[in-house]
Amino acid sequence: MIPKVLIVDDDQGLLRLMEKELEDYEEMFSVRTAADGQTALEILKVDHVMVVVTDLRMPGIDGFELLNRISRQYPDIPVVVMTAHDRPKTREVVLKSGAADYVTKPVDSRKFAARIIKILKKKAEGGSLHNVTLETYLQLVEMEQQTCTLRVMCKSRRKMGVLFFRNGDLMDARIGDNKGREAAYEILSWSGVSLSIENVCLIDSKQINGELQALLLDAMRSKDEILDVDGELQQDELESEGALLLDTPLNEDEPFPPPPGDTLLTDRVQIAAGESELPIAIEMTPVEVFRKKISDALGTKSGIGDVYMNMQWNGLLDQAEKMGMLFDAGTLNVVYINSGRNGQLLIVPGDPPIVAVLDPDTPRDRLIGALA
Amino acid sequence: MKDIFKDVLGIEGVHGAIALNAEGGLITSRFSAQYSEEETAITQFTWKAFLLELGDITETEFVFESHRIYVRKNQSGCLLVVMDDIAQIAMVRLNCEVLLPVLERAEPVSSKIGKILKKKIF
Repeated sequence: MIPKVLIVDDDQGLLRLMEKELEDYEEMFSVRTAADGQTALEILKVDHVMVVVTDLRMPGIDGFELLNRISRQYPDIPVVVMTAHDRPKTREVVLKSGAADYVTKPVDSRKFAARIIKILKKKAEGGSLHNVTLETYLQLVEMEQQTCTLRVMCKSRRKMGVLFFRNGDLMDARIGDNKGREAAYEILSWSGVSLSIENVCLIDSKQINGELQALLLDAMRSKDEILDVDGELQQDELESEGALLLDTPLNEDEPFPPPPGDTLLTDRVQIAAGESELPIAIEMTPVEVFRKKISDALGTKSGIGDVYMNMQWNGLLDQAEKMGMLFDAGTLNVVYINSGRNGQLLIVPGDPPIVAVLDPDTPRDRLIGALA
Repeated sequence: MKDIFKDVLGIEGVHGAIALNAEGGLITSRFSAQYSEEETAITQFTWKAFLLELGDITETEFVFESHRIYVRKNQSGCLLVVMDDIAQIAMVRLNCEVLLPVLERAEPVSSKIGKILKKKIF
């Protein structure tokens, strides 16, 4: 995978010029552009960007704000700041704010490319490995108590993730803007990956609880249960193969349809059957995934009633997330609510959020533990 | 007033506690010394907007990656306890149950300062 550099500037003419001039280096890195900070942040969520170059003065989210947000949300992505207004104080503030480098406009494309290549080389200063068995390498990292940032590329899935290690301890993981344990599980389940190793770890506080070995075991277990299927499956093929393979038997007493006015379930999550069963992919709705998670943890007597998706709680979740940022609390995983009108509810943030109605004698702490 | 949180702060894993009146005004707060930054941060939050979203919810827990925030509310105001995710939540709930009636007798920090200033000026 050729490293990608994202250049952010509200000057569209400059962006086109830089794209053209940097074509000479297309074997070293590719260029993607964004005309504003918000677009840049949207790109970072979904694309594997290795370096961000940003103009300082932009309308909306300016270069400082973008640098700040990337430092917090994507600490492994270095940011180069460029500006036409070069002042010593600006340079000092920018570099102290965590920028990897500072360039003044007009930009000399050769010198600019050299700086980008230098940054990219630093990311792989510890070396690169191809087609490795990730778990073996990670066990080595743990044994040798290494401090490093590993960029893991899975060619077959066209995905990239990052693992952060400090003294052999897995601190955090990231795929796009997905972080923590879930991101770690996904990365650890990849096979035949390429690694680039940087000998630093920018994460100070441990975001993933638990030992690496336990995480590896869980990831391997889920890897055994997943089969990637190429191509699309026809609905009648599914039905003829008897493809309804839910782990939890359908309970006729539990109504699945959401209350009126709630969002239609348009997003479906792909899971796959194990090797011993039919090798087909089955789609589950987010609600079904939620129910499966609960029944896996608590069995069929979980005390969960209706489960549906509802945007009613977005305001509260938004306030909660802001409150969480005050205390650096990390991602909001689940919310328990007790209100006279709605009874007891569990809410899992999402788009839209999943809401579960709880029976009065539900083991609330166990449920929260299963979802947190 | 801060002493009301003495028992809550004694629970392992608790960072601090906050009491708000029904309008979202800060009555008092207390955090362990090691979490003094968190105590400073709470003054920058618009608690009124938060209370508005709570509506008629009497009890809620926000479970984050590394923290848990327990909220207990009645007509007089709201108690919030900020803690690690491994704190003894049952003890926190019990303490809040006991503390909630105290909110009815409390005044926000800003109105107390107003009264002191009035005394000094007049």
